Amino acid sequence: MSQPESAPRPEVVLVTRPTADQPAPTSPAHVLRAVISHSIGLATFTITTAASITQQAVSAAASSGTHVAQRGMSVVVDPILDAVVPRVADAVLDRLDLTQIVLDHVDVDAIVAKADIEAVIDRVPIVPIADYVIDEIDLPQIIRQSTGGVATDAINSVRVQTFGADQWVSRLTDAIVRRRQRNVHAPGDRESHEEMTHESPEEQMT
Amino acid sequence: MTSFRDYQDRRQRDVTEMRMEVLPLGAREFQGDRAGLITRLAAGVIDVVAIFLVVLGVAVVGWMLSFIVSPLNPLATTADGMRRLPPVLVLVLIGYALAWLYFMICWATSGRTIGNLVMGLRVINFKGSRLRWPTAALRSVFVVVFPVGLAWVVVSGANRSVQDLVLRTNVTYDWVVGVPTLARILGRNRDAQQK
Repeated sequence: MSQPESAPRPEVVLVTRPTADQPAPTSPAHVLRAVISHSIGLATFTITTAASITQQAVSAAASSGTHVAQRGMSVVVDPILDAVVPRVADAVLDRLDLTQIVLDHVDVDAIVAKADIEAVIDRVPIVPIADYVIDEIDLPQIIRQSTGGVATDAINSVRVQTFGADQWVSRLTDAIVRRRQRNVHAPGDRESHEEMTHESPEEQMT
Repeated sequence: MTSFRDYQDRRQRDVTEMRMEVLPLGAREFQGDRAGLITRLAAGVIDVVAIFLVVLGVAVVGWMLSFIVSPLNPLATTADGMRRLPPVLVLVLIGYALAWLYFMICWATSGRTIGNLVMGLRVINFKGSRLRWPTAALRSVFVVVFPVGLAWVVVSGANRSVQDLVLRTNVTYDWVVGVPTLARILGRNRDAQQK
């Protein structure tokens, strides 16, 4: 089957003509019009080209090369930020009472309630603190007072009283003979101290 | 009140210093000082009473045993005509002898008689260690024969009795909080011998 003859095929015919035929623009008006039209054309071309390049660059960066672009940016921007941000922050903080702001606007109790106290306690030296408390409140004395043997208490109080009587007698005599001070320092270590400090349970067993 | 930081620093500097002391707070300062008259007098009275009770016990036991030997004679004498109770002078002499032995053994072994133990006293020599046996024996004789020498404690400027001056001994406050066991005393003797 052949195509119908009635449907003519479209044809494009390029015809070139020498420009020499056209009259050369000579008047200033013609020159001005030509310059303006060419300028507008160039500007339009530049804008559209730039727009298309930008669009392509943005899409490319979004799809694959994001961090490359960011690295390029950071090389330029980071030094500036490093120099500027601390000073700005200092200047801002100098003019603000941060503690008061936190107290006014932050629920400290809620934060503490959420904090992991056990982790903190794990880091705290509990045994030294307990020793410190025992030492500071004189726990042995409290134990003696509350549950200590009555006999020990009685003996200790008798000892303290006789010591007081010793002192009284000494002072009285010293006053009579006009002695200023007694030399009561004896050589050697006291045994009770040694017992309390150096005796270990193993030694008691033997 | 010391802060916890100070406490930690001190604890690391000297561990032994921070061990728990069981002596009452007020009594810690004068431990190791030479003791005054009243305390030593009280300790002496306790010892004398103890010796008196022992002598009395000996007399009573002897009196009861005499009834096993001769149960039928009159109360005051045995079958041989001997008195069931020795004369007071003999009892006193027994008491003196017992006292001498007792003081000597106590001072040479632990440095404390029962009276010393109760009143928290300890007898030491001029170097601060326990008396040796000869010194203990001499001091014991001296104390038994001349107990009034204790009164010099008041006059002396250093809380020393006549016995202390002559034999260069010291009687110090040294409170025992726990009851001393035989093991501790023997352990101490062993240490002293090693030195």
